This record gives sequence, C-alpha cells and structure tokens, in this order.
Amino acid sequence: MTESLATTKPASLAPRRSYSAQVLREVFLRWGARVGLAWILVLVGVSVFAPFIATSHPLLLSEGGRLSSPVLRHLTPADVTILAVFLAAVAVLFWRVAFRKRLAVVLGVLALSATLSYSLITPPSLVIFEQYREAEAAGQYDWVWRAPIPYSPKDYLRDFGDTGLEAPLESAERRHWLGTEENGADVLSRMIHASRIALAIGFIATGIALGIGVIIGGLMGYFSGIVDIIGMRLVEIFEAIPTLFLLLTFVAFFGRSLYMMMIIIGITSWSGYARYVRAEFLKLRQQDYVQAAIACGLPLRSILFRHMLPNGAAPILVAASFGVASAILAEATLSFLGLGLVDDPSWGQMLNQAVQSSTFNWWMAAFPGGAIFLTVFAYNLVGESLRDALDPHLKKNA
Amino acid sequence: MLLEVKNLQTHLRAGGETVKAVDDVSFHIERGETFCLVGESGSGKSVSALSVIQLLPRDISSHPGGEIWFEDRQPDGRIERVDMLRLSEERRRQIRGSRISMIFQEPMTSLNPVFTVGDQIVEALRLHRPEMGDAEARERAVAALAQVQIPKPEERFHEFPHRLSGGQRQRVMIAMAMACEPDLLIADEPTTALDVTVQAEILRLMRELQEKNGMGILFITHDFGVVAQMARRLAVMQLGKIVETGEVKKVLTEPQHPYTRQLIDALPENLRKRRASTVIESVAAVHPPRIAEAPLVELNDVRIHFPVRKGLMRRVVDHVRAVDGVTLSIPQGQVLALVGESGCGKTTLGRGILRLQDITSGSVRFEGEDITTLSPREMRPFRRRMQIIFQDPASSLNPRMTVAGALTEPMAVHGIGESLEERLHLAQQVLDQVQLPADSLWRYPHEFSGGQRQRIGIARALVLNPSFIVCDEVTSALDVSVQAEILQILLALKAERGLTLLFITHNIGVVEYLADTMAVMYQGRVVEYGPTEQVSNRPRDDYTRKLLAAVPRLDLVA
Repeated sequence: MTESLATTKPASLAPRRSYSAQVLREVFLRWGARVGLAWILVLVGVSVFAPFIATSHPLLLSEGGRLSSPVLRHLTPADVTILAVFLAAVAVLFWRVAFRKRLAVVLGVLALSATLSYSLITPPSLVIFEQYREAEAAGQYDWVWRAPIPYSPKDYLRDFGDTGLEAPLESAERRHWLGTEENGADVLSRMIHASRIALAIGFIATGIALGIGVIIGGLMGYFSGIVDIIGMRLVEIFEAIPTLFLLLTFVAFFGRSLYMMMIIIGITSWSGYARYVRAEFLKLRQQDYVQAAIACGLPLRSILFRHMLPNGAAPILVAASFGVASAILAEATLSFLGLGLVDDPSWGQMLNQAVQSSTFNWWMAAFPGGAIFLTVFAYNLVGESLRDALDPHLKKNA
Repeated sequence: MLLEVKNLQTHLRAGGETVKAVDDVSFHIERGETFCLVGESGSGKSVSALSVIQLLPRDISSHPGGEIWFEDRQPDGRIERVDMLRLSEERRRQIRGSRISMIFQEPMTSLNPVFTVGDQIVEALRLHRPEMGDAEARERAVAALAQVQIPKPEERFHEFPHRLSGGQRQRVMIAMAMACEPDLLIADEPTTALDVTVQAEILRLMRELQEKNGMGILFITHDFGVVAQMARRLAVMQLGKIVETGEVKKVLTEPQHPYTRQLIDALPENLRKRRASTVIESVAAVHPPRIAEAPLVELNDVRIHFPVRKGLMRRVVDHVRAVDGVTLSIPQGQVLALVGESGCGKTTLGRGILRLQDITSGSVRFEGEDITTLSPREMRPFRRRMQIIFQDPASSLNPRMTVAGALTEPMAVHGIGESLEERLHLAQQVLDQVQLPADSLWRYPHEFSGGQRQRIGIARALVLNPSFIVCDEVTSALDVSVQAEILQILLALKAERGLTLLFITHNIGVVEYLADTMAVMYQGRVVEYGPTEQVSNRPRDDYTRKLLAAVPRLDLVA
C-alpha cells in the first residue's frame, strides 16, 4: 500500500545526492539547527581571532613614521597554529575532493604549523600591558589602531591604580562593556579568550571518547559472543567511575592541566558511545550488504569502517553533540569549584568569582553563565535536529 | 450493483508534487461476485481500494472527480445508494467495518500484539453493533473464528497474535472483517506474504465464505495465478488507469491490450514455453549433457543447528535444527533449484555453503576441497569464486556507497585490475552485461528502482568472476515483468560464463523455467531431489505433491 505510493514517483526523478548531503539539508531546514550552528560558528570565529579582537596591544601603530604591530609580536605559538589550521580548514571547504583528502590536508597543516611555530616563535616572556597606553598618553605615537576591546584577558590595569570589581560601564575613563573582575581585568576580553577552552575541551574530549567508543563498540557488535561479554564488562567498569571525583583526584595529584582534563573526560565518557555503536553493529551485521561484503572476502577493516560505520553513525553523531555539551559543563564545574586552570580565563572560573566576594556581582554571574548556557543549548539544538533528521519515525509525523 | 465506481480520480501529494495515483477508473461489483484488480507495484490498485473505503489520509489525498456508489443496507433492511465521496465522516465510519471491510497484506503487523485476538474481534463488533451485549459479542467472535476454520476457537480466543502462525493470523483478520457480515470485502494482496500451501487454504476459505454469505469481494493482487482461481471478471491497471477489463478466461487467453499481453508473457510458465520452442535445441547442441563431470559443490550430511538457551545461566536446552543432514551435489555449469516454504532452512543452507553461517557438522567441498573449517584468511581465495545475490534489493546494497565503490572495492581486495581506471572499466563492462545504463557507476543505490538494484546486486557478484553463485530468492521482491528480465539476464550469464547457480526460491514457476535439477526442502531436510522435469511432473514425495498442487496456475481456467 505505502509501497505503491512510493513507487508512483519515477526513480529517475530522485535527486542525485548522497545520503549525507540529504541529511545535512534536512538538518538545516530546521530552525533549531540554524540557530545552534550560528552560535557555534560565532564562537569558533571569536576564539580563532581572539588575540586580535581583545588585546591590550595595539593592532598597528606609527611611531615617528615607523609602522609596527605589537600584537603580532605578542602572538603565542598556539595562536599561530590555531590561525593556520583555521585558514587551511576554510580553504579546504571550497576544494571539491574526497572528505578524507581534506582531513589529511588540515591535519598536515596542523602538524607543520605547530612544529614551525613552537620552534620559531618566541613571544616576549615579560608582557607589560600598560606600556602602550602610557606611551600613547605621553604622545610618542603618530597614530594607534587598537583592537575593538582594547584589554587583554590578563591585563589587570595596573596603570589605573587599585582596580577591582567594577560593574559594566561604571568607570567614566575606561569602557568595560561587561565590567571587570576582582583583579580588574576586562570580563568581555576574558570571556572571548575563554571560548577557546570551552570549544577545545568539548571537541577534543568528545573526540577521544568517540574514538575509543567506536572501536570498542564496533568490535563488540561485530564479533558478539565472548568479545561482547568482555567488552560490556569493561563498559560497566568505566560507567562505575565517577568522572568528577576522578578529575578531583587527578588535579590533587598532578596539578592543573587543561590537556589532562580533556583526556580524563574523554576516557571516562566513551562507554555511552560504545553501547550505541554495539547496538547498531549488532543490527547491521545481519544486513544483506554486510553479508555481501563478507562474501566478497573484504578485509575486516573495510567491513567495519566502510560498510558498517557510515550506516550506524547516525545515533552516535546525535549522542556526540550532546556529549560536547556535557564536556563543556564538566570543565565549567571543575573551574567553578576552583580546580580549573590557575591563570587562564575560563567561564566556570568566572562564575566562581561571582559568589566569592561578599557581595553578589551580577555581571560575573550573568555573562559567563549565559555563555555556558547558550553554548550547551546550541549543541543540544544541533543534536536534536540531527536526531530528527535521521529518525524516520519522527520524520513521518513532521 | 453492489459497488459502482465511476471515473474515479485520486491525487496524492508528496513533497510538493501531486501524483495522479488513480486516473479515471471505472468498474462495478455485483453481490456475491469477486472482482480482481491486477497490476504491478505503483499501478494504483491499492490506492483505488483505499479510495473506495475512504481510508486515505485527508491531508495528502484529494478526489478531483468521480463517484463511488455503494448500496448501503440499513439495519432495518432498507437499501440506500450512497456516494462514498460525498458522505459525512460519521456515515463513512458506520459503513467502514460494518458494510465494507478490508484485509491487508501483512498478517504479521495488521493485528495489535498487546490484545488477544478475541478482544480485537469483540471490539470491532461492539463498535458497529452497540446494542450487542458482552456475552453475545463473545459468542459471535468465537463463531467468526470457527467460521474461518481455526481449530479450537474457544481456546484461540484468548491467544495473543504472536502465538499464531502467519496463515492463522490472516484467518483471524478475515474473521474480524467478516464478524459484522459486510456486503463488500476488500482484500489487498491477502496471500502475498504467505506460503503457497497456506495461500491455497486461505483462497479456498475466502471462496467458501463468499458462497455462504453472498458478499462481493474486491480482490487486489499482482499474481495472475491467484486471479485465475478467484475471480470471474478482472481489470488490469497500469499507471493509475485501467487498461483492460473483462472476463478472466478471455483476458488471460486472448489479452487485447499490449500491456496485459506483456504481463502474461512475463509469467515464468509462459517464458518457459517460449524458451522450450526456440532455445532448447541450440542449447542442447552447444552444451552436451555433462552429468558425468565432477560436481563443483558437494554437501555431505550438512547440519546447521541453532542453540536454544534458557534460564539465568543461558544453558543450552535444545537446538533449532534449521538444516538437518543435507547431502547434495551441484554439477559444474548447472542450475540447482532449492525449493521450499518459509522456515524450511533453504536460506540457512545457502549461507552455510558460503560459510556466512557456521556449520554444526558435516562438510562442504568446493572443487573437491573441504572448506568447512577454513579460517577467514584461508577462506579468502575461495570468496572470489563463490558469490551470493540476495532477496531484497533494498537492503543488499550499502546506501552510503556509489555503485562504482561497491563494484571496485572487492576487485581491489582480490587484485583484479592494475589501477582504479582499469577496475572502473571492468565494472562498466559488467554493468553492460546486466543491462544497466553507463552513467549508473556514480550513482547511489536509492536512485535506482528495485529491478535495477537487483541488477547491481548481480553485477557485484559478477565482478569477481566467480564460478558459483547462490541466488537467494532473487526475484521474489520484484514485479513479474522485472522478474522475467532478471531471469533472462541470469540465464544469459550462465550460458556466457559457464556459471553454476544454486537458486533458492519458493516460486515453482521460476524453478521450472530456470533449473536443471531441483531439490525440495522440508523442515531442514531434502525430501526430493532430481531433474526438474521429473520432480515437477512426477513427484514421488507426499510433501512435494502437496506443494505442487497448491501452486496457483493459469491453466486452471483453460
């Protein structure tokens, strides 16, 4: 009955689009996905160009007719690497070749730029943020082009005397759109630089979890039997580990490190993905095209990753987009508890400052909290649209 | 006239475009008569039936024109002629289920699994006969079950649907449809999902019930054999239009419209007649009988058992004996048909031969070598020479891979062709052989129709240049005309490449057309094995006889 409805449309009219292109189109027909993705893209842009958007160093200045750019001199190797990778990714986006080639190019640029920048670039170890403001006030420069937010995240405004918590736009001489924190640093600038940590921890921790989960879950689902039993016990062991307490313990023993945090969040949260992949593979294993691949004598790697994984990736992608959100929350929680990074800005750490002093500083709570909320919400929106686009049962009712 | 459909038009909207699913269709049904709508998938026969009972979703369907006049018998015996298209929803609901009933194709999904079958019949009764008491409704439901010849209806009343077999479920569906004593029964492919022996019983039951109650039946099917058994008049549909209508006997023997002729010619038994008259001599001359040659595949007492586990410790309490001691040999260059009903183990055996399924005991020899216990690595050289084609063209191709990818990957693994260009060229040649257009290489499976996908499946099996192919029900998901094309391609390929085929099917017509030898399987064992001619004409085994007798054939009318 439904079959005859479906086949009344001649097959030749069907668009020549690959399945993933169709799904992407479905996803972006939904408003939630558009809004969520727009916010994530804004975050990506802001975090990549953070050293140019919010910095105390002038972008360009002229001193006695000589042009110089202090901001370029103060770029760290990490800043350069991120910029190079971002440019490579954008360039590759318009290059019509297989996805695998594009990925290879981006990873190659990452390796190259990282080695080059860490070996060649040495920013001055002593940074004096106020030198340019003082020089400008003394009239040493012909003209100065400053960043939109002319304060670095660690610029505690020593030249303005004893600075501290200040509500947004409170001070007449300086413009702090979102106020300053307890040491006198600009809140907006800190938030912009903190978006890097939020994005990085979300993607890298989830990437680690996905990698482990797909491999273990895939093997469990494909082989079933004894492999499955052992794998499931492993999953249960890892599910029994409370991530937060493990992180607390590690921080206590090994000090604070962003990378350690990413790895720990990654290796404690793969079990969910492994369960999803296992279930999908158990189902796919009996599909005719997988049987046909076995009958053709294809190697196991190809059966698992070319024939089964792309067809079972849907629920994993959905889970991953929620996973990114929860990794960001985990980092924020740690920082809020005061166990995050010491000096580098982070949204959770800023939230912590909102309640530390005797008065409630609303701007310290509202803006970083809002950023966390929006980011987690954006990932959830994308995840939900992805799930709707991939779920045939929901689509029928839509 | 019980039902008179005049110039019916049904338009369906799907994704912004309107499809004329039914276009100017007229027919009528008398009381006590069976009228058949025949056509291939997509011809609009089901949509016509759903329009009559007004079950199409309102938001996607519309009727720009036409009338559906139905003689509505009131409870007091008055007869009123009503137009189903212009009735209020309230009146329609009263007619639906009580005056017009419908039974569907898939008995596995058309019963609600969380209610007992009795409850479901009682519910239908209470809805249309609100004056009926509980006890009376129960009595009527039991009587309805008895009427469809379900043994021990009193006990079956309390069974849940999953406890019944497919045939019994379809009987329950008929009982439900008949409970309110409708004047018109719409049967939408009611036996397509059933085995032939069960189909024969259901068809006999429907004829008996019709004689008893004198209702009209609108019977929808794609199977001319079933038409020949059931109906006196039929209409052939193509692309939403009725192209030919008339007496069954006349249409089947002297079809007027070219499409009807094409459909009837595509039936395997008619293909065989043509082949018998033209091809046999030449084939016999080129390939002298080679019975003496060494068999390509030999099975020796093959058993495939599935353990049944129970309890906390998952102890093995019993075995399902899917294949229970099969000894067969398939000679080089021949077609062996493996015939049997669903659940007889024929598919399991096919997969066992290819080692897609582990064999419990016994041995499989391929070209004299025992492959029963080879490791996957040792198996690889054999994989190239034995291939499989699957039943469902929708699920047998990886939806995320282009045809080129699906065809060249196995070649690369087995070292066929030096470069990608050469492999693509080879893939192109194989696509030519299965008669697919040249631009198919870079498309994805969802862009092809069922028959085209099945050809891609055949092409995938052929790229490795195998000597043995297991064809697992390759045509049962296809329309007759497409089936005819696929069968002809397979036969041509067999002659061209000297292929040996194991043809697994339940369709006796296909077997008689294609196979040199046939083996009949029943409950995991081969009950009869011999040349096709001999087995199908002079069956020795009781089960074979029963199976062959149940096959609906055209010559019944002649």
